[in-house]
Amino acid sequence: MALRSYWKGYLKLSLVTCPVNMTPATSESEKVRFHTLNRLTGNRVVSQYIDSVTGKPVKDGNDAKGYARGENDYVILTDEDLDAVALETVKTIDVEKFVPAESIASVYLEEPHDLMPDNSVGNEAFAVIRDAMKADKVVGISKLVIGRRERAVILEPREEGIVLWSLRFGDEVRPEESYFEDIDNEADPDLIPLVQQLIKKKSAHWSPDMASDPIQDSLLKLISKKKKAMKPSNKTARGEPDASAKSNVVYIMDALRKSVAAELKSGKAR
Amino acid sequence: MASGHRAQWKGFLKFGEVSCGVALYTAASTSERVTFNSINKVTGNRVNRVFIDSETEERVEREDQTKGFEIENGQFIIIDPEEVAATILESNKTLDVQAFIPSSEVDDIYFDKPYYLTPEMGAEAFAALRDGMRKSKVAAIARAVLFRRMRTVLIRPQGNGLVATTLNYDYEVRSSRKAFEEMPKLNIEGEMLALAKHIIGTKRGEFNPASFEDRYEAALAELVKAKIEGKALPKRKSVEVSKPSVLLAALRESAGLMKTASHKPKRTAANANAGTGRQRAARGAAEKAASSKAVPQRKAS
Repeated sequence: MALRSYWKGYLKLSLVTCPVNMTPATSESEKVRFHTLNRLTGNRVVSQYIDSVTGKPVKDGNDAKGYARGENDYVILTDEDLDAVALETVKTIDVEKFVPAESIASVYLEEPHDLMPDNSVGNEAFAVIRDAMKADKVVGISKLVIGRRERAVILEPREEGIVLWSLRFGDEVRPEESYFEDIDNEADPDLIPLVQQLIKKKSAHWSPDMASDPIQDSLLKLISKKKKAMKPSNKTARGEPDASAKSNVVYIMDALRKSVAAELKSGKAR
Repeated sequence: MASGHRAQWKGFLKFGEVSCGVALYTAASTSERVTFNSINKVTGNRVNRVFIDSETEERVEREDQTKGFEIENGQFIIIDPEEVAATILESNKTLDVQAFIPSSEVDDIYFDKPYYLTPEMGAEAFAALRDGMRKSKVAAIARAVLFRRMRTVLIRPQGNGLVATTLNYDYEVRSSRKAFEEMPKLNIEGEMLALAKHIIGTKRGEFNPASFEDRYEAALAELVKAKIEGKALPKRKSVEVSKPSVLLAALRESAGLMKTASHKPKRTAANANAGTGRQRAARGAAEKAASSKAVPQRKAS
């Protein structure tokens, strides 16, 4: 999946305003990308829009967003129209409130975004807001329209930038009490020291390696191996799925199975 | 346990040689956003999406679609992700704790989805783990095959239970350090910082995310109505940016504004040393600024 588009707008604290841009802090761009293929020809499959009434293909650029006004009756909205929605939160992150860092329950955290000044004019104003939050150990509360919903967001100073989290809505988060009410609230006091000993033995520092993806790693290795082995003129992987394509699949599945088995056995966070 | 809810996953939680039966319940769902229909501009009809072969341009039915990855330009290896998933389906149904990390090192940027983790069998071990982790101020890093993928899960005590959060893969997370690394290093100190802290002080409070309400749908309906009635859509006011040369003045004005605007400041005392003389001096300017159109103001909506 390609990187989702930038958002550009303003960050505002009282009378201080600076231009900012925002990108998602997570992305699938490095994920091994699967394409949809036609099993019969081995060619790529692409999507096409067909007019539901005439049955004819719709030319690129002729498809538009429609807001359903009634049955089979749509009001076409352009991106400029959508930008004109009468909410300042489409373009401006006005920080209305500050709360102690950690006071927002983590189940509300939905998606992190990296927020930074959009040009050098805003550097200083941005830094003022960031550093004051850092100094006071608070996060900012605001709202912003993201993905056609207005969301509560929190702003968390981080290194030179600010991480903006969209928060889940109240009706999206289930109350923990109804899940946890039947659980013993006190553990056997004799067991706790034993658990703490085990914790000590298995204690480690956080490392991004702990969040690795063994399947992706094996796929990448296999792809690079395959690339090296493949001669420019060799087209057997394409075209009809012949014997060699089949054997590739078998080979890949086998290797993946092995890597997973090794992963499960090793018990190491690698 | 957790009667009345449907578990997403049942299996075992294993730490050291101890294991207990557990269940995972979705802690948060994702709601839908306002969706639009795709329309053919020319005819005004809805459009449907179909899949065609990129070379023959013939329809490809679902059963004839498969997946593959590109080796190099246009050369594919056919491989079905379902088959990939199948290789790990035969899992051992275990959340295997690999390590305990200090709570302070938990990096929330990795958070994917939260689940409530509850005991099914062996409740004593569950409670001991929960309380031991709480006492040692650690979180557990576990691995498991969940929903057809090998995942890393962060487990932390919460209330009487545990919250298990699936983590994004390392390659999905652009570390904030990397994203922010090219920004100029600016340290704000002195009066600017004091004023900004003062402003924050006046805006301190509590926030309950559950009480938040989304105004987008209503605003969109208004917009559509205006468009149907042929009214001109309102233009957004242009925003004035605080250039470095006016930043200090804007901060002073803001700090002054805060003071005049809120007659019942509850927590301003904490930052009262931000220079009262200066604020008094700034107040006149602030009042003037408040009535001036040059000041970017929130529109009532």
